[in-house]
Amino acid sequence: MRILIHFELRKIFSKKLTEIALIAILLLSVLFGFSTYQNKYAFDGKSDGGTGKAAVEIDKEIAAKYEGILTDEKVQQMMNDFAPKSDLHGMNAAYLYQNAMQSAAFARFSDMNGNWNGLSVSDVFGDEEIKIGYTDGWLSTSQNMVKIFIVLSMAIVIMIAPVFSGEYEGVDNIILTSKYGKTKCTTAKIVSSIFATIFSTALIVAFNLILAYMFYGKSGLDCSILFAPIEYVEGFIPFNITCGTLLKYQILLAFTGTISVMGITLLLSAISKKQIVALVASAAIYLFPVLLPVSETNPLFRYIGLLPLYQTQAISLMSVEQMSNGMLYAVWAVPVSLIFLGIGIFVSRRAFAKHQVS
Amino acid sequence: MELKTIGLTKKFGSKTAVNDLNITLSNGVYGLLGANGAGKTTFMRLLCNIQNPTSGKVLLNGKNIVGLGEQYRNLLGYLPQNFGYYPDFTALDFLLYVAALKGLNERTARKKSKDLLEAVALSAESNHKIKTFSGGMKQRLGIAQAMLNDPRILILDEPTAGLDPKERVRFRNLISAFSKDRIVILSTHIVSDVEFIAEEIVMMKSGQIVHFGKPQEITSEINGQVWECLVPTAYAEKYAATYNTSNLRNTDNNQTILRIIADRPPMENAVRVQPNLEDLYLFYFKGETEE
Repeated sequence: MRILIHFELRKIFSKKLTEIALIAILLLSVLFGFSTYQNKYAFDGKSDGGTGKAAVEIDKEIAAKYEGILTDEKVQQMMNDFAPKSDLHGMNAAYLYQNAMQSAAFARFSDMNGNWNGLSVSDVFGDEEIKIGYTDGWLSTSQNMVKIFIVLSMAIVIMIAPVFSGEYEGVDNIILTSKYGKTKCTTAKIVSSIFATIFSTALIVAFNLILAYMFYGKSGLDCSILFAPIEYVEGFIPFNITCGTLLKYQILLAFTGTISVMGITLLLSAISKKQIVALVASAAIYLFPVLLPVSETNPLFRYIGLLPLYQTQAISLMSVEQMSNGMLYAVWAVPVSLIFLGIGIFVSRRAFAKHQVS
Repeated sequence: MELKTIGLTKKFGSKTAVNDLNITLSNGVYGLLGANGAGKTTFMRLLCNIQNPTSGKVLLNGKNIVGLGEQYRNLLGYLPQNFGYYPDFTALDFLLYVAALKGLNERTARKKSKDLLEAVALSAESNHKIKTFSGGMKQRLGIAQAMLNDPRILILDEPTAGLDPKERVRFRNLISAFSKDRIVILSTHIVSDVEFIAEEIVMMKSGQIVHFGKPQEITSEINGQVWECLVPTAYAEKYAATYNTSNLRNTDNNQTILRIIADRPPMENAVRVQPNLEDLYLFYFKGETEE
């Protein structure tokens, strides 16, 4: 079995398309990470401003000044410190961006002119204890990872589609007439597919986290996502979770998403006689939920949101519900992905063993 | 060991590829002959249990091969007519992979693979990628993979296709040496290959067996119907088109010897000769395309 798994893994990873896809994702990660880092902008409201590394340092300095639990006093202090010093020319101050901390504060506590809107911390966040700090770096990493994980899912489709269907293009009659062709070989293919999926996902996750750590350090991981600068959709997840928790969920959902995609692709690979059919059909099934006219506010989204595409998108699924045990509804993606995997394994085993060569 | 088919039938829609085929094969080399569409490949696939029969069954020593599963496949070696390969695998890797599929342990697999690469004259190319191989080299690799597990039942579909004469001789010798106490079934384009190594000939037409027996026995059916005639070379083609001609051989003095299959002497100077398998083949499949 060990040798068979070794050969199956080799078949998966030696395909040019797989190698290109994985390298492309790594390059894409570098491109997204580096361009996001370089495009960071911060102005301290007085004299110091900059982009890239300088911006991150300014944002971190400002965050250090206010870090800890968000209080009404800190809100007042921020409103004073960041009060606009020039005419906004009719622009709503809530959308003003000088630095990450100012943006987060103004998005929630400013009126149109940049004055305090009269809301207290409890008015905005209820009884939640909001820990603030420098979250901008990790939040932008989370945003980039959404795009990268979608591309990764497509790469998984490319990797797994030929696992069975590739054999139907000529080697099937040799495999299926060999002693273990209908038994251990199928198991080896499934185990290798799972391993390849987990390995690729882990590689891309680790690469992105290391890259983000190099750019932003670990500050902000214990801070709430609710006090995020205005551009972050992550800040609209209506639950008081930390950046670290957000990333943990997102990584979990990346794994469940890719495993679900793998289950679907494995199934289609076993029943399609051509690799290209398995590949296109798997990609279509993965992407089709975007065509469904179900918005995130629709009650049906609880179920639609558990499809692999939304698992990799993470944020919408994480917004559904916080359960009584404190966990997010998104954890349902785990059993759902296991169901996709189980169906994929069951059908592909049967389909390959019963395959009739032609 | 006895491999037996009972009422074996395979239909593809309205077309019957194998029709109520009953045959018993025991140890020996069987040559399968038939024209295009005769059902040879389908018959071999049914024997390998990679196609399900529409009706009927295949029994090994009285047991249905479907029920035997791994036990049956462990005895089997199969070279398909057109087989796929992994272009980035080397010849040795490919054999090691097939050996793992056949359940050979690592050490045996390596030794057996090297021995067989030697036997099919691919030792020097053992570490070359298959995508660099010619058609003949791929075919030899296919023969090697089929023999990895020392199969008791070896089924070879067109094993000599793409082999040059020297390689064909090597193949014939390899099969002859290997075939003791085994069932070897092979189909080939080249009737002479079958004639040399097959102990029994199975002739198929329209999914059915039309002849089954030893080469000498079955050629005796057309005893007295094979003639050689000497004609001027200028008219040779005309005569060849008129009669069922199995061979033309030019002589030195603008004369050609035609080998003709006919009930009566086709010409006055016709000389009766001993029929061979090729004559029998033409007798049965005149006008049909060779597979």
